[in-house]
Amino acid sequence: MKKGLIITLPQSDDVTEYLAVFSKSITDECEKRAIKFHELKREKANKKEFETSLKSYDYNFVILNGHGEENRITGHQNKTIIKKGENNHILNKRITYARSCWAAAGLGGCYSRDKTSCFIGYNIPFMFLMDITRATNPIKDKIAEIFFETSNRLPIGIIKGQTTNQANSNSKKAMLKGIKKALSRGDKDSQAIAEILWNNYSGQVLLGNKEMTL
Amino acid sequence: MNNNITSKEKELNETLKKLVVARIEANMSSTLKLSIGSDGSLTKSQMIEHVMGGDNIGERIIQTHLNFMRAQATGQLTTALNTV
Repeated sequence: MKKGLIITLPQSDDVTEYLAVFSKSITDECEKRAIKFHELKREKANKKEFETSLKSYDYNFVILNGHGEENRITGHQNKTIIKKGENNHILNKRITYARSCWAAAGLGGCYSRDKTSCFIGYNIPFMFLMDITRATNPIKDKIAEIFFETSNRLPIGIIKGQTTNQANSNSKKAMLKGIKKALSRGDKDSQAIAEILWNNYSGQVLLGNKEMTL
Repeated sequence: MNNNITSKEKELNETLKKLVVARIEANMSSTLKLSIGSDGSLTKSQMIEHVMGGDNIGERIIQTHLNFMRAQATGQLTTALNTV
């Protein structure tokens, strides 16, 4: 197994478009720290490419952006990329961060007692708010940025050398700070922002080895 | 008896829907959309439609509001916020 990152970046609807756009700071951090990474963009975010890339690059950190259900995570055009009981073994002995709904509830359960792997994800839907006036240029969406900046703390922390537990904890602390900031601002959208951040805070779970590092 | 419970539950459910709709109306700009995974991103009026329709997406939205209100009422939110 080699030190590096494989990241899926499907872009087939507005939700995956946002996930992909706001993942740039993750790969930027890899570049900054000379950590190798391989991106599976758009159509390449499919099961075959994912399995082949993981086998050939053999990187120890996997980020899955996409829609999810309890037992599967999808890639481009909502096609299954990883499914419990079918190909989830390829995540063994790696750190996986799944920014997708529900996946920690089923798929992640495979790693709950695993001392050699770590799965971090959400046991409820990962949610975010977006500003529709920025939909054509998501990176300028300051509302969506609140949700991605806080969840990005997790993979960026791991890239910086933190343990999975430290990175998870720092990301969750950032969510709480985001709630505090929103509530203290007290404008029209503050309550909605706080509620959705609380949703992600409550649902983000670490399963498996808490002390793994990149 | 069962009919009584059912009608009370229905009444409670309708009250809950109205509460969540009122919260959405008051706490969210019309320029925002909520992304809720593979269910897509929803405008404020679509969120309200799902809540009033009582479908799975509406249930999820209600649950999110309830979780936050519960955290506020029990002090769980305050305790967590005091750690940062």
